[in-house]
Amino acid sequence: MSMPGVGTEQERPLAQGATMEISVSRQDLLRELTATQSVVERKTTIPILSNFLLEADEDRLTIIATDLDQSIKTSCAAKVKKPGSCTIPARKLYDYIKLLPEGDISIKLMENHWVQIRSGRSNTKMVGMARANFPQVPEFPETSITRIPAASLKGMISKTIFAISNEESRYTLNGALLILKVESMAMVATDGHRLSHVEKTGETLTNVSGEKKTLIPRKALAELQSLLGSGDDAFVEFADDEHTLFFRIGRRVLTTRKLSGQFPNYEAVMPRDNTKFVVVRSQDLMGSIQRVAQFADERSGAIKMRLEQNELKISSSSTDAGESEDTIETPYNFDPIVVGFNSAYMIDFLKAVGSEGEVRLEFKDAQSAGQMRPEDPGEDYKYRYIIMPMRI
Amino acid sequence: MGRIRILSDQVANQIAAGEVVDRPASVVKELLENALDAGATHIRLEVEGGGRKLIRIADNGCGMLRDDALLAFERHATSKIRSSDDLLSIATLGFRGEALPSIASISRLQLDTKTDEESAGTHIEIMGGKIVRVDEAAVARGTTIAVRDLFFNTPARRKFLKSETTELSHVTALVTHYALAHPDKHFELHSATHALLVAPPVRKSSERLYQIFGGDLVDQLLPVAAEMSLEHAGLPEPPPWKRDADYKRPEPGFLRLSGFLSKPELQKLNRNSIYVFVNRRLVRDRVILHAVSEAYRNIMPPTSFPVVLMFLEMPPDEVDVNVHPAKAEVRFRQSGFVHDFVRDSLRNGLIKARPAASFLQALTASPHATSVISGALLPDVSPLPGEEGETRFAAADSEPVLVEDAADFELRPPQPEPETDKLPFSLAGLEVGLEKLTSGLPEAHDCDSQTPIEAGETEAQAPATLNGLASLKPLGQLRESFILAVNEEGLWIIDQHVAHERVLFEKILRERQVERVERQRLLMPMLVDLLPQQMVVFAAIARELERNGFEAEAFGPRTIAIKAAPIGLEGNRLERMLVEVLEQSERETQRENLETVRTRIAASIACHAAIKVNTPLDSKRMEWLLAELAKTDHPTSCPHGRPIALRYAWKDIQRAFQRI
Repeated sequence: MSMPGVGTEQERPLAQGATMEISVSRQDLLRELTATQSVVERKTTIPILSNFLLEADEDRLTIIATDLDQSIKTSCAAKVKKPGSCTIPARKLYDYIKLLPEGDISIKLMENHWVQIRSGRSNTKMVGMARANFPQVPEFPETSITRIPAASLKGMISKTIFAISNEESRYTLNGALLILKVESMAMVATDGHRLSHVEKTGETLTNVSGEKKTLIPRKALAELQSLLGSGDDAFVEFADDEHTLFFRIGRRVLTTRKLSGQFPNYEAVMPRDNTKFVVVRSQDLMGSIQRVAQFADERSGAIKMRLEQNELKISSSSTDAGESEDTIETPYNFDPIVVGFNSAYMIDFLKAVGSEGEVRLEFKDAQSAGQMRPEDPGEDYKYRYIIMPMRI
Repeated sequence: MGRIRILSDQVANQIAAGEVVDRPASVVKELLENALDAGATHIRLEVEGGGRKLIRIADNGCGMLRDDALLAFERHATSKIRSSDDLLSIATLGFRGEALPSIASISRLQLDTKTDEESAGTHIEIMGGKIVRVDEAAVARGTTIAVRDLFFNTPARRKFLKSETTELSHVTALVTHYALAHPDKHFELHSATHALLVAPPVRKSSERLYQIFGGDLVDQLLPVAAEMSLEHAGLPEPPPWKRDADYKRPEPGFLRLSGFLSKPELQKLNRNSIYVFVNRRLVRDRVILHAVSEAYRNIMPPTSFPVVLMFLEMPPDEVDVNVHPAKAEVRFRQSGFVHDFVRDSLRNGLIKARPAASFLQALTASPHATSVISGALLPDVSPLPGEEGETRFAAADSEPVLVEDAADFELRPPQPEPETDKLPFSLAGLEVGLEKLTSGLPEAHDCDSQTPIEAGETEAQAPATLNGLASLKPLGQLRESFILAVNEEGLWIIDQHVAHERVLFEKILRERQVERVERQRLLMPMLVDLLPQQMVVFAAIARELERNGFEAEAFGPRTIAIKAAPIGLEGNRLERMLVEVLEQSERETQRENLETVRTRIAASIACHAAIKVNTPLDSKRMEWLLAELAKTDHPTSCPHGRPIALRYAWKDIQRAFQRI
């Protein structure tokens, strides 16, 4: 068997990175790779970032991925024959491990960063890169750790993440603001057209004095969402330093670079005197809006909400598609009002609320912000969705 | 002794000559117009030394009687008008009666003429304005005038003549224009060494165009024709109490336009390629030039100009040609009406044709590229074929379109033989194309698509239109910026940003028209800091901005707060768009009319709200964009004039792979 890499430039291996040999169960490895691989950059100009860093020590294998903005570090049990570390192309490794049958997988670092992967009768060698090139990933701090109930955090993320701005130039809107207080926490996100605000009371948080506000980038929230979805840990450990936010969920650690800048003063835009309101079943409203939106202007998705005597009429029209109207019967006794909204914004909210239960729509006039909220939020959630009207 | 003297006729003529004749080309113009006014159908011109040595023009027109011929060299002697009333309805090209005596006073001139009435012709020789010989001569019907040694007695004028090549190119351009205006007449232009132009009579302008410029240019041009009755646009009639007893209501007449205009991708850096003939007279009229620019507004960049050959016909009393000694300028009685008519006709022509740009042509058609069609519309004027190398600098921007040698110098796929030209798409498509073309052709006669069409005609004639856009199937994106798509006609490359820009632009204008601009109110007003002068501009156009979906108000002396914005504009894009509009308005030195402001704002909104380059699109989104683009009026180019869709024709692909 000819050794791979023979004939290339002679490179003196570093003393501590020269060896690594482990054996790990395919199931464990695949689970951890799945959790990590979403961070790996698909199209990066820095080749090392498309690699996993594998570190073996004592009886654990640690897997690290980073795109410089964020990183995930996770680990699983492994039989470590020779401790050490190596890097392996992330996508290739993940795809390959998925195709292997159940069983133990042995991973062995060879010369010139080649890595041999053997399982049963399968034998593969992949080209890694020098471990020294892999960027330093921040370490979880020792102090000032806040324990946040995982279920609450997950709920808050799913109720706000859709309202985060996609406009990259407005970077302070490219994340959601997490507000931690001693006995409550809240999350708020806006894109300048609508704002989603959720508050969870009845929590007891450690290491929080007064009010702690943290802006979390959308990408990190999405990672958190999937990490929280796959694990069953009751708490998330949260900490931060000058530049970085840290979240530890079980054995996994997500780090993300802090978003700098001032989140807008959201409290000022919360409507106070939206006195005209109507309550409808979430499912009915969703159905009507989806139907009517088919005939809205393709670009704006604008629909009209018309509130009259015991009726909510939802209508749309566009020169291309035609026009459509749905009527929902519901008690309404205030002055009639017509307001235009982007249907996509309303659908986002209704999806977050779910099809169960009722929602309350509160209005002031056609120029002012409308507010939507679940009629019976339950579980100590206070959920408000503010949406600016369109003039149609 | 008094100091003021009456000048002799000789001197007066020489002064007049300064107005009428400033270079050989003006002599050619005057003589050519005389020949055409005389009803000639066969005109032959010879030019030597760029026209300085010799200009000889021979026609088969009506000729002159001996007495008339002599009288013609008196000042203000003309057969074309009799009284000043005739000036109001001039149907001939000339009328001032100044040309012949002026030319005669600064050259050695020979005239041979014969009419049908007299049995013998007349020969006259004039030297610097003095008749030196009058004789009978045996010549055929018509008139031949030979002008030698132009400016021999006016050294000042002679000194300012340009090089031979330049003068010759002016002459050639002039003859070319008249040949274009009169396709039914035979034109020949010869230099001392070779024929510059030979154009036997043809039936249609399009054929004349093909004769002179060849197929390449014709491919780039779209025919246009329109007609409008002046009935409802006429000037008010005199009131009944002022009418004469035998007052007859004047016939309103018609305003007709025919000609050719270039596809938007053919762009020039100046207006020199816009040729306008009013009642077959070449004019440079600002009203019409403006109308042409207006027609191409938002299809072509404002600094570029199209190629246009346009023939306007109107009753003679609708236009005053007695404005300029060389008759280069005219005045319309109803200039606003003519302006709008020209603008709308050209615009409709462009909308109807929806020309598709070919990929290869687009490479050469930009105003900075040199190619057969991008130079001035001039045949080659190199005096000697062998001297091409050193004379090319003079005609640097006029690539050769030699009539007798139509071979291209460009590296491009060879043009197919007209006869073997098989169109790759179905016959149905071909017929549609032909129908479209012939219906738009000037002087088009009903052309049954069943009858065989001459090969020469079919060649250029299945114009590439963008009607196929709707049938395009997107394949994918090139660098997430250009959509690649195919249909039967070939491979298309579509710039996704400008395509969307065009779609939005027309949509925004439509919505603005009916005041249905949708706007999204902002949760938090967006504050934009402006410079003091921008604040002034903002105040001036705030109303129009508001109707386009911006709700903004002053927020302190140098800040505005935007409270609502048009759909699709957020954050930075919104701010950049606003600043762009304000800067453009600032630059406009002239007061713009409202419509200009409106289209400018629409173009700016469209540009900033459109899909950017480097944006991945899924196939559904691409299909949607192509379908929307197909629905637009001008899918050819974006509001700033860049091309949207380029086609790599199936034919070209086959040829490039040497399949045909």
